[in-house]
Amino acid sequence: MNCLINLKINGESYQLNVKPNLLLLDLLRYDIGLTGTKRGCDTGECGVCTVLLEGRPINSCLMLAVEANEKNILTIEGMAKDGQLHPLQEAFIEKGAVQCGFCTPGMLLSAKALLDANSNPKEEEIKKAIAGNLCRCTGYTKIIKAIISAAEKIKRREQC
Amino acid sequence: MLNYFVVGKPIPRVDAIEKVTGKAIYIDDLIFPNLLYGKVLRSKFAHAKILHLDTSKAEKFPGVKAVVTGKEFATNFDNPLVGSPLADQPFLAVEKVRYIGEPIAVVAAINQEIAEDALDLIRVEYEQLPAVLNVEDALKNDRPLVHESFNNFRYSPGFKPVENSNICYYIEITNGNIEQGFREADFIFEDIFTTPSTQHVPMECHVAIAQFNPDDSITIWAPDQSPYGGQNLIAAALKIPESRVRIITPPYIGGGFGGKLNLSGLMPIVAIAWKTNYRPVKIVLTREEEFVSTTIRHSSIIKLKSGVKKDGTIISRYAKIMFDTGAYADIGPIVLGKAATGSLGPYKIPHIKVEGYCVYTNKAIAGAYRGFGIPQVCWAYESQMDIIANKLGINPIDIRLKNIVEEGYITPTEKQEAHAVGLGECLIKVKENMSQKGEGKIIENRKRGKGVACGYKTAKTPSGANAFVKLNSDAGADIFVSSVEMGQGVNTIFAQIVAEELSIPFNNIRVLPADTDITPFFPASNASRVTFYLGNAVKKAAQDIKEQLFKIAQDILQVDKEDLALEQGSFFVKKEPERKVKITEIMKKTYPGGISILGRGTYYQYKLGSFPSHVKVEIPTTEVWMYASQGVEVEVDTETGRVKIIKVAAVHDVGKAINPITCEGQIEGGVLMALSNAMFEELLFNEKGKILNSSLLDYKIPSALDMPEINAILVEEAHREGPYGAKGLGEMVAVPTAPAIANAIYDAVGIRIKDLPITPDKLLRALKNKC
Amino acid sequence: MLRKIKDFEYFKPSTLSEAISLLAQYRGRAKILAGGTDLLIQMKQRNLTPEYLIDIKNISELDYIKHNEDEGLKIGALVTHNSLVNSAVIQEKFSLLVEASLAVGTVQTRNRGTVVGNICNSSPSADTAPALIALDSRLKLISTIGERIVKIKDFFISPFKNILMETELVAEIQIPNLPVHNGGSYLWLPKVTSVDESLVGVGVLIAVDDLIHKICTMARIGLGSVAPMPIRAKMTEEFLKGKRAEDVIFRQAAEIAANEISPRSRAEYRREMVKVFVKRALGKALDKIK
Repeated sequence: MNCLINLKINGESYQLNVKPNLLLLDLLRYDIGLTGTKRGCDTGECGVCTVLLEGRPINSCLMLAVEANEKNILTIEGMAKDGQLHPLQEAFIEKGAVQCGFCTPGMLLSAKALLDANSNPKEEEIKKAIAGNLCRCTGYTKIIKAIISAAEKIKRREQC
Repeated sequence: MLNYFVVGKPIPRVDAIEKVTGKAIYIDDLIFPNLLYGKVLRSKFAHAKILHLDTSKAEKFPGVKAVVTGKEFATNFDNPLVGSPLADQPFLAVEKVRYIGEPIAVVAAINQEIAEDALDLIRVEYEQLPAVLNVEDALKNDRPLVHESFNNFRYSPGFKPVENSNICYYIEITNGNIEQGFREADFIFEDIFTTPSTQHVPMECHVAIAQFNPDDSITIWAPDQSPYGGQNLIAAALKIPESRVRIITPPYIGGGFGGKLNLSGLMPIVAIAWKTNYRPVKIVLTREEEFVSTTIRHSSIIKLKSGVKKDGTIISRYAKIMFDTGAYADIGPIVLGKAATGSLGPYKIPHIKVEGYCVYTNKAIAGAYRGFGIPQVCWAYESQMDIIANKLGINPIDIRLKNIVEEGYITPTEKQEAHAVGLGECLIKVKENMSQKGEGKIIENRKRGKGVACGYKTAKTPSGANAFVKLNSDAGADIFVSSVEMGQGVNTIFAQIVAEELSIPFNNIRVLPADTDITPFFPASNASRVTFYLGNAVKKAAQDIKEQLFKIAQDILQVDKEDLALEQGSFFVKKEPERKVKITEIMKKTYPGGISILGRGTYYQYKLGSFPSHVKVEIPTTEVWMYASQGVEVEVDTETGRVKIIKVAAVHDVGKAINPITCEGQIEGGVLMALSNAMFEELLFNEKGKILNSSLLDYKIPSALDMPEINAILVEEAHREGPYGAKGLGEMVAVPTAPAIANAIYDAVGIRIKDLPITPDKLLRALKNKC
Repeated sequence: MLRKIKDFEYFKPSTLSEAISLLAQYRGRAKILAGGTDLLIQMKQRNLTPEYLIDIKNISELDYIKHNEDEGLKIGALVTHNSLVNSAVIQEKFSLLVEASLAVGTVQTRNRGTVVGNICNSSPSADTAPALIALDSRLKLISTIGERIVKIKDFFISPFKNILMETELVAEIQIPNLPVHNGGSYLWLPKVTSVDESLVGVGVLIAVDDLIHKICTMARIGLGSVAPMPIRAKMTEEFLKGKRAEDVIFRQAAEIAANEISPRSRAEYRREMVKVFVKRALGKALDKIK
């Protein structure tokens, strides 16, 4: 039997009739058409399906769409605002932190959640924050540099 | 030193903005109308006859539109077999299954759930057969045969398997006199090294969509590193012209590493597409299927015997290499061949003998995996190099410098001239970048050590590459090539080359996704050959356009070519720079109604002595050699046997870093992948041939918490034929890491591990045995 | 093999009594959904195919961390690892539990997964189990019939099996207050990489008479991933009582602990690691005693 859910995705409200066994990941990718969130393992190990639920990173492959009722979700498509890239997105481009790009959406969202809670993270804290986002291409080196750079950008902009 | 505008600069990638905004399109993001979903039924046994296959219930299941079996497909297409250089693999198993996970049948249904449920309804009756699960057993006298006969297989010249055996391919290389070489040596070193099977673990699992068309052609959408390769394999198997098979790649691939070559693991899609009455069908592999049914790395047993003079000169070397290639050949013989030719290391050794065996077993298929056989042999020769250095009391860097090849040396295995040998500089830079001796601390039970290793690999020669470039009226350009962007940064390199040659803005240049109907030939995005071969083709295509523009500019400005220069999108008279004309103006003035200016480039490089007699060779033939050295600093916890990799200095000779940032990125990523292969990864097979750790829960790759500090250093020993001197990089990054780690561990605690992976269990046991 | 989750009916009760009524009504055919990080995987693998899912996340009466001097610490069924880690009272008074929760999975897992869920999954390598065992925790089980309190060490039966009846749910974890001069520590060794299941998990809690003599008045040791279920190293605890809390005693204790385990794989290495980590955990616990 279908369930009616109301939720906000990237600030926009949706009302949908969904089957209980529909995963949040599939709702996003197929019903809403936001394909930036990826499928990688279906068991919550790789993190490419990461979205922010009420600002906190979770694996959307391990959440049912019905559980998102009355909730706020942020996907990668919602990270840039009014055509302006988030400082993390800028930093990832500048520092060469992107290679195949498959882990990038999830990685950016985990990093955003970190910087929203901790504006001056140490390197060890950054590593812990992104430990649930696996990357096979970059070796994480430039990703960490990009997150540190983004933190500095945000600080500078706040000072202006 | 030439100064370029855009080449050699750390330009941000052209595809970065799409990837950071979630707009980048990968295969599973494509939408198809009328799509069916396919699920593959896979063998439960490592070796068995298929006595009976009953698909009737599945066919009748509501929502199922097609079911196909191996027998049916084989009958209709005259027993098609896939593979190059040896075609031994059916699209679906016909009478026998040869490994757990082998595809047997496929169901296509209106949604994934129905396809999965219908799969449950297929009944298979097997008769189990004895299986061979390791190379030693496979080579014994009374062993089960994985393939009873090779008589019906197509094979390339020189690649016939050994009849009535499990030897898929055997290679022997000799030079000098090996017996004499051992007689004349002061010391003989003999060791056996092993490496396990590992998986690529790209973040993106394999997906393919296929559709037969009413004109009997087939269209396949797949993240295929080799669209032309896949086309070739399928056409040859089905005995149809190549142009009847169209392979289209999505704009981006979520990681390849050799595992997405030639529709690896997804050939069954051709069989099911044949039965869906022209509807497109999609197969998505689960992460478990990734582990079990796509290609893996060859596990190896390598016996290395070296004869050394007391001053450290290596005068003889014998290598016996055994690769476990799994149930089907795939690209195994080529990998083994590569390993055999590379098994001596980058060293001048006069007396050599190499014996290489590529062996069938009833296990998952081994294929191309970053390094292509070289990491396995480098593990052997660079571990032994330190054993030699330690015994003789010679510094590890010095003993290597003493033996390395130099410019012009004809190698005994490749029988090619070594050119652009930056290895000496790599070794010296590694030495400079490792912290000084004496910084090794001993804190309680933690011991530090340092180790180095080096290696070399050749990119695949001969290779041919074509490129088209279209210059548009706004001085933007489109590049048509059949490489694939899987993270290495090739699209960015090509944009830089075209921008450099035509002096047009870098950010107005696009690379189209590969499509065998549209983009011209390139064999495959593997073997670290894209920058060299396709880079040259793209450069030629851009130069073709430049020549056409020069001619027009000469007419417009009424000067000869030598008096003209091209800079920042304008041609100008050298002596009177205010007399100029922009490229956009040239096109408007000469072609007021509009036009594209087309450039084409073909690049083909021959090996010494390999070109056909009717081809006039105007330029010297050459191999593309990649060299590198890596130094590792480790900390061993002697209570737990756990090894922490503290620092890696990775020095790579790239010829010319067209984009230093993407080069660094490849080094940092490759080193971590190789480190992981050395310390964490091993596919575990049980006694029945089943892979036990077929999930990311049980097969671990590193997270950010496992990364060491990686210092990527670039050396540029220009190649005379490379675009701006560039060579290759993508695989070399993963070659010397494992032996450098083992050498560092030996330095720290005096334990020599010869079997990968280096686990805490092994190290602790060895430490306790030592005391 | 991972598949699409089989269809089910979904309930989201807002009170505890509604939830347990549903459990009783659909006896054996229903499962409780909290964080879902274990349950959904089981359902994708078709190890579990419940016809009804009872989502308890709307039951605010289950989401609490309470502490007082009489009854000790009470953790409700909906407390996530992330909430536990950020709880000031647990950080201050029961810090080994924070260390254990931090060992569970990744940031993403800890934002959804609950501590009670971790226990109910009953994996032999559940990270919170050794710490909860060392803390002598109890679980409050509730059904329409009534409620019962069980000790955590009695909760586990075998890998992934526990004593919970089909109609029961775990509503609360109860942890008694600790004696003065106590110190606790949770240490673990991953199987392979840093983010991984534990190969060996050690939770210890010790208390001493005073800071000068340091005679051990209480010792509790929970071990995870070294037996079919999380266990208490009773002989090791007995050994430690009455002895001076110091390195040479800890070493001997660790040797005893290594003999109390029954690992099924990598046994030799696990035994060695129990020796190392029980010793280290005891040392860390001692350092924390104020």
